Amino acid sequence: MKDFQYLLPQTLEEAVRLKEEYDKAAVFMAGATDIVVRMRDYLLTPEYVIDLKKIPGLDGITFSKEEGLHIGCLATMNEIAGNEDVRKYYPTLAAAAESVGSRQVRNRATCVGNIVNASPLADTATPLYCYDAVLEILGPNGKREIPITEFILFVRKVALERGELVTGIRVPYREAEGEFRKIARRDQVDLSTVCGTVLKFGDEYHIAMGSVAPTPLRLKKTEELLAGKKLTKELIDEAAELAPTEVNPIDDVRASKQYRLDMVSYIVRDVLTKLA
Amino acid sequence: MKEYLVKFFVNDEPIELRVPANRTLLSVLREDLALTGTKEGCGAGECGACTVIVDGKAVNACLILAPELDGMHIETVEGLAKGSQISPLQESFIEHMALQCGFCTPGMLMSAESLLRDNPHPTRDEIKKAMSGNLCRCTGYKKIVEAIEAVAEKGVYDK
Ligand SMILES: Cc1cc2nc3c(=O)[nH]c(=O)nc-3n(C[C@H](O)[C@H](O)[C@H](O)COP(=O)(O)OP(=O)(O)OC[C@H]3O[C@@H](n4cnc5c(N)ncnc54)[C@H](O)[C@@H]3O)c2cc1C
Ligand code: FES
Ligand code: FES
Repeated sequence: MKDFQYLLPQTLEEAVRLKEEYDKAAVFMAGATDIVVRMRDYLLTPEYVIDLKKIPGLDGITFSKEEGLHIGCLATMNEIAGNEDVRKYYPTLAAAAESVGSRQVRNRATCVGNIVNASPLADTATPLYCYDAVLEILGPNGKREIPITEFILFVRKVALERGELVTGIRVPYREAEGEFRKIARRDQVDLSTVCGTVLKFGDEYHIAMGSVAPTPLRLKKTEELLAGKKLTKELIDEAAELAPTEVNPIDDVRASKQYRLDMVSYIVRDVLTKLA
Repeated sequence: MKEYLVKFFVNDEPIELRVPANRTLLSVLREDLALTGTKEGCGAGECGACTVIVDGKAVNACLILAPELDGMHIETVEGLAKGSQISPLQESFIEHMALQCGFCTPGMLMSAESLLRDNPHPTRDEIKKAMSGNLCRCTGYKKIVEAIEAVAEKGVYDK
């Protein structure tokens, strides 16, 4: 690992100021489960690492039906997966958080880190896409909010400007049924070959898939096809056929493009059949 | 190269060191403190050979940077035994022959220790899930699971 300076700001303002000053020479760090691996392999060689973990008040998980869920940027995957409100009102997010890596990794990895890392297969992304989650951003010019679908731009590219960091994720509350699915080669401690979430809000459907394009995707055409309709076998067949036409996966070490297309179709068919 | 003063505890013993930023808890334990029980398998969070308990939680020592150590309470496999008396969990591993080469064993023990503290009577599925971040290339896992079940049955971790 290349040497770097380790910076430990005590306030958000200080963190923003450091990042604004050092800009591309610096990276933020939360659980470090992505950055340490990348630094070890010399894929990432920052001059400064800004550790956010000593800033107070950022690890909270709060919920009310009016305000929805708020996940602070230091809340870990195990804290999210074990939180009563998340389990009750956002079971797909709890399942996704619980599917990340191992127990050891989940004790350190944060959900915000998972999203900012912007891997196409980030497991917590698809439930957050389905719930229309919003990223809360703080920067030199103050606060702003941005929908998750506009935040993740490409593989490892997000809509953060100079000096900006993510303070938390807001997930609006809507009563929903549905499932998170992770298809991997091994049933624990593996990256998703395909992951996806299908949610039903009354007669409206939200469907998101990961590891099938440079970013996670919402399948808008399939959602439109289903909107307001009763889930008959014919409609589910049609949705399962349409869904793979909305994604653009690649062949890689984990699976072929065709397998991924088939899995998108399978997840849509299987979850909709359960919801019918 | 800049160094950072870190004060932390390993198995309740206070330690003060100057460390560079680009080292890990794993390398500090093994190379500076001569605590070689904690092993390096992959160095990238995949195998669990480096599992230690930090502030009550099982984590991968290979993914923690040395300057982060300041203020941490770290438990390693060396801390399980009391003097020359090995712990009931360690005894159960021996009794059930839950190791062959033994390379994964310190990590297995620390993962099992943290599981049993949180959940003194886990089901077989809970054991398998909690231990899934620890790879073993020898035993086939069955005896490891049995060793954990047996020590749980004895009620050693009951609160
Ligand atoms: C063995 C192993 C298994 C894994 N398995 C999975 C898996 O199954 N599924 C999965 O999705 N991922 C997996 N991962 C990847 C990783 O654990 C997750 O992406 C994790 O959630 C990242 O969070 P972190 O807090 O560790 O991030 P860090 O490594 O600290 O940071 C990740 C990125 O986010 C940025 N960042 C962090 N916090 C902020 C903030 N508040 N504001 C702005 N930028 C920020 C950092 O600068 C960096 O670019 C695995 C990793 C390992 C090592
Ligand atoms: S050496 Fe740390 S997980 Fe393999
Ligand atoms: S006993 Fe050899 S790796 Fe587990």
